[in-house]
Amino acid sequence: MAENNLERLKTEVKEVIIKTLNINKINPEDVNDSAPLFAPDNPFGLDSVDAIDIIMTVQKHFNVRIADQNLARDVLESIDTLAEFIHRERNN
Amino acid sequence: MAAHCESGTVTALLNHGGLEITEPMVFGIASGIFFGYFESSNFSFPMFIVRNKPGSMRRNIAKRMGVKFYNKSFKKPQQGIDELDRLLADGHPVATQVDFYYMEFLPEYIRAHINVHFVNIVGKNEKNYLVSDAYHRDKAELSVEVLNKARFVGGYMAPKGFLFYPFHIPENIDFNKAIIKGIKKAAFDMTKLPVPFVGIKGMRKFAKKVTGWPELARDIDHLSHEIMKINVLLEDQGTGGAGFRFLYATFLQEAAQKLNDSQLEGMSKRMMAIGDDWRNISYFAAKIGKNRDLGKERLNELSQMIYNMADQEQAFFSELYKMVK
Repeated sequence: MAENNLERLKTEVKEVIIKTLNINKINPEDVNDSAPLFAPDNPFGLDSVDAIDIIMTVQKHFNVRIADQNLARDVLESIDTLAEFIHRERNN
Repeated sequence: MAAHCESGTVTALLNHGGLEITEPMVFGIASGIFFGYFESSNFSFPMFIVRNKPGSMRRNIAKRMGVKFYNKSFKKPQQGIDELDRLLADGHPVATQVDFYYMEFLPEYIRAHINVHFVNIVGKNEKNYLVSDAYHRDKAELSVEVLNKARFVGGYMAPKGFLFYPFHIPENIDFNKAIIKGIKKAAFDMTKLPVPFVGIKGMRKFAKKVTGWPELARDIDHLSHEIMKINVLLEDQGTGGAGFRFLYATFLQEAAQKLNDSQLEGMSKRMMAIGDDWRNISYFAAKIGKNRDLGKERLNELSQMIYNMADQEQAFFSELYKMVK
């Protein structure tokens, strides 16, 4: 059950990122959940400005707080880490 | 990992000396929160800072908590190298000032020549020093040659091998008194210093002047670079995010618990919201800089956002000052 929730959350996270950054050419299933989000070959093609955009949107959409830059770097490593963070924060 | 190199190194050394204290607490007691807007012939472009000046953390912690630090800089590099090795051989982890660029264990794209970076040196083997850096998750190794180069580079605010470690940590620290003094000094500096370019006055100066930045820039690329630097100064490593406002909010939350003061708890929440608004500014600046959307209207918008922060922080720090006066 918890695993299903996490998987659904990962898909939702990807949908939110796609919508936030207005990336029409990508489907959530095209993105590898464990791949580094900011690697040059990631289909999202993100930069540091997008990172802040994602932080602000994720905070608002999922009602969590990423208030530390070092934490942000860890949390934004991949879809896996971002979804796991949101999942953890919601259950705390 | 820590939010900031100076508060991070001081915290780690105090923890090693047996004192349980967090980085936000060190930052708050040391009155780390600040703002200053500077225009000088020494700088190629106006700049702003969001924390107190380098070295202040250690000095303020010494003053307010009674911690005694051994500290020394060196005219001759060999003396500085010998002294670091002597202290390590005696079993003391030591903080030292370095040029950030030479921290080769960090990714190249984040390294720049910044002469006021602090790392802890925790040991040495045949070829390498063992380095603990606030911006690196694990302990790293750095060759003796590279660390020596990083400690003795020249230039503005040259490190001169500066090193320090706490040799005396009092058993009974009056944390309540230290917290109150730290808050009072920070609130005073933000609202009452009679200098037109620091604290809230500095923010208003920044808000006023940023609309004139196009006249100072060589071209649109230069202007874009400088506007995007607002984001770097507020959000990048070494700020803990939102220009240290989140770190200060965490300090206020811890202070509220230690002092059992619900008013401070409320102030912590307000500071967190202020941090969110600074984050909006950093995002806005990054976005308009990236898109080269730097017309008069956009810069006026940016200016207004900074004026709003000045109003918010004026109200916040005035109230905070009254609470601890």
